[in-house]
Amino acid sequence: MRFNLGKLPATALVGVATLGLAACGGGDSTAPASAPDLSAPADKSGTLSMVTKFADPQYAPYFESVVAEYEEENPKVDIKLEQVGDQPYKDKIRVLATANDLPDIYFSWAGDFANKFIRAGLAADLTSVLGPDTELGKQLAPAATKAFEYEGKNYGLPINLDGKYLAYSGAAFEKAGISQPPATLEELFEDCDKLKAAGYTPIAFGNQFGWPALHYVTQLNAYNVPADTLDKDYNPATGEFTDPGYVKALEQLKALLDRCANPDANGLAHEAAQANFIGGKAAMQYIESLEFQVLTADGGAPPTIAEDWSFFRLPPASDAAGDTQALTGAPDGFLVNAKTEQGGLAADFLAFLASKQNAQQMVQDLGWLSPVEGSTKVEGVYPQLTQTLQDMSKASEFAIWLDTVTHADVASAYLAGVEGLVGGDNTPEDVMASVQEAAAKAQEQTN
Amino acid sequence: MTKLVYETVDAEAPAGPPDRAPLRQRSPLVLVLTVIGKLLVWGLLAGLVVAIIYPLLWMVLSGFKTNQEVFGDPFGLPGALRWENYQTAWDQGVFKYFGNSVIVTVVSVLTTTLVSAWAAYGLTRLDLPLNQGVLLVILGGLMLAPTVALVPLFRLLQSLELFNTYWALIILYTAFRVPFTTFLIRAYMIDLPMELDEAAKMDGASTQQIFWRIILPLCRPILVSAALLQALFAWNEFVFALSFISDDARKTLPVGLLAMQSRLTTDWPVVFAALSIAAAPMIILFLVGQRQFLRGLTEGVGK
Amino acid sequence: MTSALQRWRAWLWVMPGLALLLVFVYYPVVENIRLSFYSWDAFSPNPIFVGLDNYDTAIGDPVFWTALGNNIAFAVVSLVFQVGLALVLATLLEEVVHQRLRGWLRTIYFIPAAMSITVAGILFSFMYNPQIGLLNRFLGLVGLDSWKHAWLGEENTAIWSIIAMSQWQSIGYTAVLFVVAIQRIPRDYYEAARLDGAGPIRTFLMITVPLVREMTTLLVILTISGAFLVFNEVMVMTAGGPDNSSQVLGTWLYRNAFFQDDMGYAAAIATVIFVITFTIAALQLAISRRRRVEV
Repeated sequence: MRFNLGKLPATALVGVATLGLAACGGGDSTAPASAPDLSAPADKSGTLSMVTKFADPQYAPYFESVVAEYEEENPKVDIKLEQVGDQPYKDKIRVLATANDLPDIYFSWAGDFANKFIRAGLAADLTSVLGPDTELGKQLAPAATKAFEYEGKNYGLPINLDGKYLAYSGAAFEKAGISQPPATLEELFEDCDKLKAAGYTPIAFGNQFGWPALHYVTQLNAYNVPADTLDKDYNPATGEFTDPGYVKALEQLKALLDRCANPDANGLAHEAAQANFIGGKAAMQYIESLEFQVLTADGGAPPTIAEDWSFFRLPPASDAAGDTQALTGAPDGFLVNAKTEQGGLAADFLAFLASKQNAQQMVQDLGWLSPVEGSTKVEGVYPQLTQTLQDMSKASEFAIWLDTVTHADVASAYLAGVEGLVGGDNTPEDVMASVQEAAAKAQEQTN
Repeated sequence: MTKLVYETVDAEAPAGPPDRAPLRQRSPLVLVLTVIGKLLVWGLLAGLVVAIIYPLLWMVLSGFKTNQEVFGDPFGLPGALRWENYQTAWDQGVFKYFGNSVIVTVVSVLTTTLVSAWAAYGLTRLDLPLNQGVLLVILGGLMLAPTVALVPLFRLLQSLELFNTYWALIILYTAFRVPFTTFLIRAYMIDLPMELDEAAKMDGASTQQIFWRIILPLCRPILVSAALLQALFAWNEFVFALSFISDDARKTLPVGLLAMQSRLTTDWPVVFAALSIAAAPMIILFLVGQRQFLRGLTEGVGK
Repeated sequence: MTSALQRWRAWLWVMPGLALLLVFVYYPVVENIRLSFYSWDAFSPNPIFVGLDNYDTAIGDPVFWTALGNNIAFAVVSLVFQVGLALVLATLLEEVVHQRLRGWLRTIYFIPAAMSITVAGILFSFMYNPQIGLLNRFLGLVGLDSWKHAWLGEENTAIWSIIAMSQWQSIGYTAVLFVVAIQRIPRDYYEAARLDGAGPIRTFLMITVPLVREMTTLLVILTISGAFLVFNEVMVMTAGGPDNSSQVLGTWLYRNAFFQDDMGYAAAIATVIFVITFTIAALQLAISRRRRVEV
C-alpha cells in the first residue's frame, strides 16, 4: 500500500470539525406551523411517510396491502410505511415529535393523546377533508369522527370502532350453571363464585405494563362518576379528581379482582392471560372488540372456544351514580402532520384508506369494525361482530381509554397507582391522592 | 508488567493445588468439618455452573419447542428439533436487527481502534505539545457516563441530522470508548522501545510510515484485545440504541429483541430462538478469543 | 516550516479522538447541567429558564427517592456478590480446583458477561414468569409453594429479582479479574503460610485478601458507579413497574425525558447521576494515583 494513509487523521478531523460547527449553528430554529394545502393534487407524485402502531403479524399485512394498492394505482407515489408495536409507539411518536421528524401521516388514539398534538400545532385541520359536510365525512359514523374533534374542528380519520367487553366461553358458563350474562356487578361476583366452584379462573387478567387495569377503571369511572364531572376532570386544564365516585370505582375494581381474577396479574402479560382464556382454563377476559378475531377459528382459536363464545359489557353496580350506558372504547385514527409538504397526497391516501372497498377488506381481514358506512356487510364475517355493532349503537357515548384521554402525568399517576392497587400495595385512597397531585401539576402546566 | 499479565492468566501454574496435611493426623471432628467444607466448596462451584448453564440450555431448547411444550413442560426436552422456530425468529426481525448490529459493531470497532491508536501514537511516540493536558482530557472521558449525556445528545443529534441513523450510534460508540481504548493501547505502546522509531527515521521513514509499518503491527496483540472489547460493547449497547434509533429498520439487536418480545408476546418459542441467535456471536467470539479478551480486561482494569 | 509548527503537527494524531470527545462527550455533559435549569418538552421545544425548579421537583418526588434507594440497593448487593463472593470464588478456583478443570470453570463463569443484558433480561423475565417460569416451578417441585411469587410483578420482589439477574451476569466477570490478581501473588507467600501451619481460611484472610487489595478497591469503585448507572436491566425486565417500585435513576430519567415530556426534569436527574458517579470516579483516580506513588 503506497498511498499516504497518514492523511486520514486530518480528513477525519475536518469531518468532525464540520460536525462541531453544525452543532453550534443548527440550534432552536422551529419553522412556524402553516396549514398544509390539502386539496387533491393534479399530479399524484412524491413520497409519503406513514407510521402506525400495527406491527403485530396479524394486523401489519392489511396496511401493507393498502399501501401497495395505492402505489400501484399511483405509480409515481412512494409510501414509506413503518409499523411499530402498541407499547413502543407511545414513546416513539413523542420522540419523533421532539425531533421535528413526524411522518406525514401518523397513528393516534382519541383523547388527550391526539389533543396534545393538536394543541402543539402538529396535526393538520382536516375539516375540509372529512368534516361532517364533506363527501368523505358523510360516509363516517358521526360518533367516531367526533372522537377526533377539537374546538369544533376535525383532525383525525377514524379507522375502526373499538369497545371493551367481557368475552366469555359459553361452555364454561354452562358448566357453572350460568344461564345468562350478569346485569349488575353484584351478579357478576356471584357468577364468579359459581365459575370458581366449577374449576375455572373466572376472569383471566394480565396487567403487565398496567394498561389492562386502566381499561377497567375507565369503565368503572364512567359508571360511578357523573358525566359532567368526568368531562371536567379529564380536561387537563380543569382536572381535580375529587369526586367520591373515583374511589368507589377503584374499590369495585379491587373487589372484582379479588373475587374473579387470577393472582399475580402484574407479572403476566395481557396476551399470556389471554392464552389461558383461549385454552379453556379461564372463563372470561375483558378484551377489546378489536381483539375478537383471536377467538374465532380464523384467528387460530381452538373449536372449544371458537364455536361457543359471546360477550357482554362489564356490568355497573346497582347503585352506580354515573352514566351506565357509556361504553369504554374509542376509534383509533390517523392524523396528518401540520408541517407536511404532501398535504394533498396525504388527504388523498386517507380517503383511499376510508373507501368502502378498503374498509370492507379491513373488516374481513382483521375482524375490526369500521366507521365507514356499509362496511360490515361482507361475506364471512363472524356473527359476534354484527352483534358488537348493534351493541355499540346502543351506547350513550364512548368512554375513552383512561391512559390516552387524560394528561400524560395524570395517566402515569393512574397507571402506577392502579398497578400498586392490583398488587395489593396501594389503597384506592392512595391512588386518588397521587392522581389528584398529578392533576394539579397538569393544571399548572396547561394554564 | 503489563505484557506479563496475560501470560500469567493462562500459563500453566507451576504446581497443582497445595497438598493438604494427611487426613489421618486429624481428629474425627476436624475430619467431619473438612468433609463438610469440601462439600460446601464443591457445592458452590458446581451450583454456579448449573445456575449458569441451565438457563442457557433452557433458552436454546425452548427455542425448539411448541408453545404447549413451553407452557406445559418447561423442564422437558423438546419433542422435536423444530428449526422452523429459529427460521421464524430470523425472518420476523432477527435478520434485520442482526445486520444492523453487524454494521454498527464492525464500523465502530474500526473507527474506535483507529482513532485510539492514532491518539496513543501521538501521546507516546511523538513530541506532542501539551501532552499531559491532552492525556488528561482523554482519560477524563472515562469518568463520564452515557446516561448523563442523554438529553443534550438527543438535541445535538437532531440538529446534526444524525438522529435515527447508523452514524449516531457509530459516532457515539466511538466517542464514548476512545478514552478506554486509548488508555489500553497507550499502555502497550509506551513499552515499545523508542529505538525502533529512531532506527526507522534514520532510514528515512516518515511519521506516518513508522505508525503504519512498524508501531501498528507491533501493537497487534493489544489491538485485537481492544477490538474484541469494543465489539462486545457495541454489540450489547442499549441506552443509545434505544434513545437515538426510532426506525425499526435500523434497530440493533438489543433494542430489536425488546421490540420483538412485545410483538410476539404469545409466541414464546420464537422469542427463545431469537434470544439464542442474538447471544451466540459474542459467546462464540469469547470462546475463540478468550485469551485476548482476558488480556484486554485485565490490562484495562489492572494497571 | 519552523520546528514549533512541526511539533504541533503531532496534534493531527490526537485531534480526531479529542474532537469526538469534546463534541459528543464533554459538551453534552456540560450542556446537561445547563439544561437542568430549564423546562421544555416534545410539544414546546423552546426551553424556559426555571432556575432550581427541576431540583425542587426531584426533592418532592417520591419516585426519585425510590429510584435512588434502588440504586443503593443495587450497589450494596453487588458489593456482596461481585466483590465479596467473587473473591471467594476466585480463591477457590485457584486453590482448590485442579488446573485443567479451572480453565473450564473460568470460561463457564464468564459466559453470562459476554451476553447482552437484553438477552439475559428477557431470559430471566421468562424464568420469573409466574406461568411458565422455571423459578416457581422449581419451588413447587421442592415443596416451597409458599415462596412462589410473580417475581417481577410484585412491588416487594421486582427490584430484587432484577438485582439477582445482574449478579448472575457479572459475578463470573469479577471473579476472573480476581483470579488474575491472585495469580500475581508470589507463590512463596503461600508456601510460607503453609509451613507456618495456617489453614486455608487463615491463608485466605492473611495473604489473599490483603494482597489483592488494589483489585478489590478498583472493583468496589467500578461496582458502585455501575450500580448508579443501571438502566438496561430495569428497562428490559419491568420498565420500572409495578407502581414505579423498580425505577432506578436511569430509567426514571428516560421516562421523564421521552414519555412524560419533561426534558428539564430528566436533565436534573442526569445531573444527580453525574455528581454521584463523578465523585466516585474522582475517588478512584485519587486512590490509583496514590497507589502508583506507593509503587
